[in-house]
Amino acid sequence: MATTTGRPPLWRDVRVLAWAFQLTVVGLVVAIVLWLLDNFRANSERLNIPTGYDYLDQPANFPIPGSDFNQRQPVSDALVEGLQNTLRLAVTGIVLATVLGVLIGIARLSQNFLLRSAARVYVEFVRNVPLLGILVLFYIALVLGVFPRPDESWKLGPLAVLNVRGASVFWFEGGNWKFVLVVALTLLAGWLLARWRRRIADRTGRPARTGLWALTGGAVVLVVAWLVLGLGATAPELDGRLVTGGITMTPEYFAALAALVVYTASHIAEIVRGSIQAVPRGQGEAADALALSGFQRTWFVVLPQAMRIAVPPIGNQYLNLAKNSSLAAVISFPELTQITQLSVANRSPAVPSYALLLAIYLVISLVISFVVNIVNRRLAIVER
Amino acid sequence: MRRSFTRYLAPLAAAALIGAGCSDDDDDGAAGVATTAAGTSAGSLATATTTAATGAGTTTPGAPAGESTLDTVIANDVVRCGVRDDLPGFNFVDQSGEQVGFDADFCRVIAAAVLGDATKVEFVPVETDARFTALQSGEFDVLVRNTTWTASRDGAEGVTFLHPTYYDGQSMMVAADSGFSSIDDMDGTVICVAGGTTSEGNVAAEFARRGLTIEVQSFETVDLLQEAFTAGRCDGWSSDLSQLKGLRSNYPDAQGGPESLVIFEDEVFSKEPLAPAVVDGDSRWAQAVDWAIYATIQAEEFGLTSENIEGFDAGDDVNLQRFLGAEVEGEDVAAPLDPGLGLAPDYAVQVVSQVGNYGEIFENNLAALELERGLNALWTDGGLQYAPPYR
Repeated sequence: MATTTGRPPLWRDVRVLAWAFQLTVVGLVVAIVLWLLDNFRANSERLNIPTGYDYLDQPANFPIPGSDFNQRQPVSDALVEGLQNTLRLAVTGIVLATVLGVLIGIARLSQNFLLRSAARVYVEFVRNVPLLGILVLFYIALVLGVFPRPDESWKLGPLAVLNVRGASVFWFEGGNWKFVLVVALTLLAGWLLARWRRRIADRTGRPARTGLWALTGGAVVLVVAWLVLGLGATAPELDGRLVTGGITMTPEYFAALAALVVYTASHIAEIVRGSIQAVPRGQGEAADALALSGFQRTWFVVLPQAMRIAVPPIGNQYLNLAKNSSLAAVISFPELTQITQLSVANRSPAVPSYALLLAIYLVISLVISFVVNIVNRRLAIVER
Repeated sequence: MRRSFTRYLAPLAAAALIGAGCSDDDDDGAAGVATTAAGTSAGSLATATTTAATGAGTTTPGAPAGESTLDTVIANDVVRCGVRDDLPGFNFVDQSGEQVGFDADFCRVIAAAVLGDATKVEFVPVETDARFTALQSGEFDVLVRNTTWTASRDGAEGVTFLHPTYYDGQSMMVAADSGFSSIDDMDGTVICVAGGTTSEGNVAAEFARRGLTIEVQSFETVDLLQEAFTAGRCDGWSSDLSQLKGLRSNYPDAQGGPESLVIFEDEVFSKEPLAPAVVDGDSRWAQAVDWAIYATIQAEEFGLTSENIEGFDAGDDVNLQRFLGAEVEGEDVAAPLDPGLGLAPDYAVQVVSQVGNYGEIFENNLAALELERGLNALWTDGGLQYAPPYR
């Protein structure tokens, strides 16, 4: 029994066997990948197709709607334009989908029968149809079918002009950095005020009213900064067929954004509903026992705990939304995927182009999950 | 913290490696990648991966040298033809599921020339932006898909263009009630084009040349483009003249029919030689396809049609005898001309009797679109269609 004389032979040593097995698997995978790469390179060489990334410096030879891009600019500039459009779509989409999703998720649990049923119908319908279908339907039926022709544009005084070419609204004039600065100052003021009120509340026990203070303070700073920086404004004007002035949202962007928000919100709503139901009932009852109002009960007691559960799966939905934005290529919104398709059709080599496309989406996704993980860590219960 | 950071790093490193592998031009590239990969994942893997790399390096992929598509087509007894299936006149699917059109007929011409049977064609529908990649990877043998021959496509797409079957040019179509009567009227408008074509760049360049500002909106499919055009998303629809004619003649009556559209036929602002294409570096196959097309042109020049070519009396005309694959009196023996193209001596008879000569193919498919021969007339009638002598 007690024959533990040293180590077993190599071929029966579990640790060695485990390592050998893993090395073999890794070696096989690497070999297959290298074989494929080698094949690709050999075939490309045989067919005289460039495999490098030199094409990025070549002129693009295609225009991009809704931008000042000139077709003599290099392909890399076109990809940057596409990336900006993708990010614009993804970031706006994530914000709007979160707001809509949380509202519908709460509505799913409402006491009101009508509200509850409407939310349920929405979720069950939208969640169970393909996004591509919603996207094309929104574009053809909503945008092309409902919006008026340019000569019959809908106008809302000097504030907005809407037609099938786009929706233009009253907007700030001049340099973009000024606008960003104003927004940043406003947000900073709001945040500082809220923090200050919170501190006072913690010290004295008086109600903080952070929302009220932040909004008022932010609005004051906004107006002051606007006047100080001399930021003008332009109103959209219909000039024949074209709309000049203001800021214009193309119908393709509108349809893509609406479809992504509507679709992703249905998924977020289910996550929010499940997370709220996962909060122990006692928490809500305790809030009732303290005579908190319905809003206070949801906002201060139930939702913060539900969000702790909801953040990781909602992060997944953000990743999905960012990647799904590539479907907007179908309705010819010039985001990254469409720009890649156009550039491949204009003689950029296909394999390097699509490899680059995937790498860019990978980076976008990694950045999103990095941010979501930070939020998740901050929300997690601090174990003592 | 460190751990989660490496988790993000690993896929990035992998992506970078793929990039490096693609851009490396020398043969040592693969081995270089292998050692780098081993280095990043774990030092102890070096031996395993290096062996693997050597193994992969000795494998020679691809077709054996000297093998031509001509041989594989004959062996498979079918010509696989990359086509578009939504373009009336050039290629679309009719009610009985048959591929009909000008391009489809040239696919049949190739099959008749190479295999002696015009029905031995497999039509492979392909999207605009995938057409060259699909041809390169061998999804089909020849691309006959309304494709413009340009220098950069010839040079960078790994394909060889052959004799243009149709000389086209880009024009503009607008709604009849739009009030536009010339391209010069169209400052500050939106122009819709099919994406991934030469049309996009052409239209932007042409308006820039005239000093007009426009926005070019490109669509992946013609169906969506038509929806957008009908809804007033754009003022003009720019494409090759032949395509615009085809689209106009098939414009649905619910939207006003052909009468509701106007094409600026006098304003053709680009050269669009539409030519079949094959993979680079296969001259035997390229020559076979070229001469299949030439046969239709030569037949029209000789006055040979699908009606009269069989049993046509060549008389004493040696050129005609050669073309018909008849026995030509030589020094010692009488034999039909075999120019060494890998085609049967009577291939021209097969092409013309089964499909037709160039003029017939044109009439059968494009006359309904009210297209005129124009540049596509024979050289004897002042056009550009000219076949080298068959001798």
